[in-house]
Amino acid sequence: MNKALRNPLIYIVFVLPAFILFLAFFIYPIFTAFDNSFTSWNGISKDVKYIGLDNYVTAINDDAFWKAVKNNVYFILFSCLIQVPIIVIFSLLIANVKRLKGLYKTAVFAPSIMSTAVIGILWGFIYNPDFGLMNEILGLVGVEPIYWLSDRKWAMIAILITNGWQWTGFYIVMVLAAILSIPKELDEAAAMDGATGVQRATKITLPLIMPIISVVIMLSIAGAMKAADIILVMTKGGPAGSTDVMATYMIRYAITSFKHGFGNSIAVLIFLFTIIVTVLYQVLIARRNERIEY
Amino acid sequence: MKKKGLALLMSLLFVSSALLSACGDKGAEKPSGGTEGAASNEPFEITIRHTQVGESKKFRLALLNDVVSKTEEAVPGLKIKLDAVDSEVNRKEKLRGEMAAGKPPEVFDVFGSPDAGVYSKEGLMLDLTPILEELGIKDKFTTLDPFTHEGKIYGLPIGGSIEGIFYNKDYFAQKGLTVPKTLAQLEQIAEAIKADGKIPFAQSSKDAWIPLMTTNNLWSYYAGAEVTYGFKTGETKWTDPKVVEGVKKHQEWVEKGYFKKGELGFEYADMRNQIISGEAMMMMDGSWANSVFRDPAQAGDMVGKIGYFNLPPVNEGDPVIVMQDANNGYGFSASVAEDPRKLQAVKEFIKNMWTDEMQLRGLKEDGVLPAMKMDLATMNSTSDDPLMQDIFKGVSEIKYSFPAFDALVQADVNTALSMGIQQVIGGELDAEKMLENVQAAQEAANAAEE
Repeated sequence: MNKALRNPLIYIVFVLPAFILFLAFFIYPIFTAFDNSFTSWNGISKDVKYIGLDNYVTAINDDAFWKAVKNNVYFILFSCLIQVPIIVIFSLLIANVKRLKGLYKTAVFAPSIMSTAVIGILWGFIYNPDFGLMNEILGLVGVEPIYWLSDRKWAMIAILITNGWQWTGFYIVMVLAAILSIPKELDEAAAMDGATGVQRATKITLPLIMPIISVVIMLSIAGAMKAADIILVMTKGGPAGSTDVMATYMIRYAITSFKHGFGNSIAVLIFLFTIIVTVLYQVLIARRNERIEY
Repeated sequence: MKKKGLALLMSLLFVSSALLSACGDKGAEKPSGGTEGAASNEPFEITIRHTQVGESKKFRLALLNDVVSKTEEAVPGLKIKLDAVDSEVNRKEKLRGEMAAGKPPEVFDVFGSPDAGVYSKEGLMLDLTPILEELGIKDKFTTLDPFTHEGKIYGLPIGGSIEGIFYNKDYFAQKGLTVPKTLAQLEQIAEAIKADGKIPFAQSSKDAWIPLMTTNNLWSYYAGAEVTYGFKTGETKWTDPKVVEGVKKHQEWVEKGYFKKGELGFEYADMRNQIISGEAMMMMDGSWANSVFRDPAQAGDMVGKIGYFNLPPVNEGDPVIVMQDANNGYGFSASVAEDPRKLQAVKEFIKNMWTDEMQLRGLKEDGVLPAMKMDLATMNSTSDDPLMQDIFKGVSEIKYSFPAFDALVQADVNTALSMGIQQVIGGELDAEKMLENVQAAQEAANAAEE
């Protein structure tokens, strides 16, 4: 048996099924998407016409596409600048509570296991201009009713808040696991040396969990670039396209209009933009935080 | 060494057999049965993809089941497999995927425009023209335009619809309001309702097709029932003054506050709730909405209190112009033509499905207007419900009808219109600028087709 396991052919045979599935469902679709993006294919016809870079030129010259890209950027900025600090603060707070830690963990994690459709309906009620919780609370301090999902000024913010609410708990649990894995001695030693709670959090815990925060940011960026479901459920990209992101732009302007060639070019652009942003993040920021030595 | 070789051989055999079985063509295992002639009793199967899913479609499913039973009885050896799929999933994903693979089910639920146009252009749908001629029902439909491509008919609508105004009859009676005969009278009613602190028109504009029902009917009154046909050919333009006037009227109604503030965030169901709760007094919708207002579970106390009238013309006595359409129905796979027995089954299905009896049953049980021509007396005799009687009256008053705009313009133009009407409602654009954008999209779409 040992001899058999030393034969590379055996390994190839066992790897082959998974490799074929990987090729069929991951690599092949990526290549076909690239290929189709240079065509005017309607998704049905056998007669596929190559049109060079026309689809990319159409997208790049379309203001609506850049509006959608801008909304993706808002998603990224909201995730990195608002959501991540909240995740870190809540993780530190939950890590240091003495009682009911399990309850807090479960409570913050719950939204991430709910389906986006349910969350969309739930927050639809919260944002309702007539009886929604949001306007009720704001009304207490004299704020006029806000048309959260109907007003282009507020619709994107409303979606970002909802999306943040859905995923914050998931990342909190990840960060919490990292905090709880830090050897207690480090914290205790700092405390004995007279470090305050804030000092221990910022000078000891935070630097030690930077790798996991880096992963959280990476996942947030990737999630922000492919966001679509929460928008479709809450505003369908409206009002008047003001909450369209690249993925919903692709559905609105390509897939529903039988323009699969154009749709594939948008998919390729999403893929390329995501790679560029994540590589930039890796090269410029994340690499510095990779190694931790206790 | 021998053992190792055997293990390797067995592994290879397993992998290759798994792969081969995965790549196998299921269809190839079955005898086609097609060459044996229509008279053979050997069992064969066809699939009907339908979208009668859920409680609200139970009557339509029962009707389909009856047609299936009759068809199976009439064709020896036939077994019909019913494949139920949600309408949106079928339209946007499943059927498209099957069409791309060139293997749609033998019978399938399909939208006439633009879907059937695209599929038939690729030769994937059965030309029904000779079958309809043989059965003598070709001229019995109100319209087959959405299913007609280059003079050939590729699908049959299951029902029809008109668009008009549902209103709160009790409120109208209390306030001494009567059904308007002109648009100006309708506006006076709207002003009176607004002055009373109520919402004149319930409307949800999260989905742009909903407010576009109002816009479409308005521009057709101002510019004529034929105007929308000309956009694709270039004979008419979206920027024509009369079209602009129609869209401006909608904009004026928005600015005058005839619709509830925040309509761009409301779902379709919300506008029905505005009527049912007594918040709004009128609502532009398709005749299909009658099923909601006749159902105590949905309309509660409002059952029997909702009436219907056509959007009135600009001047009293002018012809009534109303959207009358039949865009959803069944299509058939082109592959059916290669198998005489399947072709016979399809003919029998059409013969049993599109009859006066079935159309009237759809009307009675489901409130769906017939897709086939029917005189008013016959329709009246089917349902004595007051709301249905109002709708029948609405149908009888129509002088000129037109299909919904999305059946007449390209999908890109529909997208531009949808975006534009939401921009007008949101106060971002005025009617002129919106229509300039739509005309630009129209010209680009026309150029792409040349």
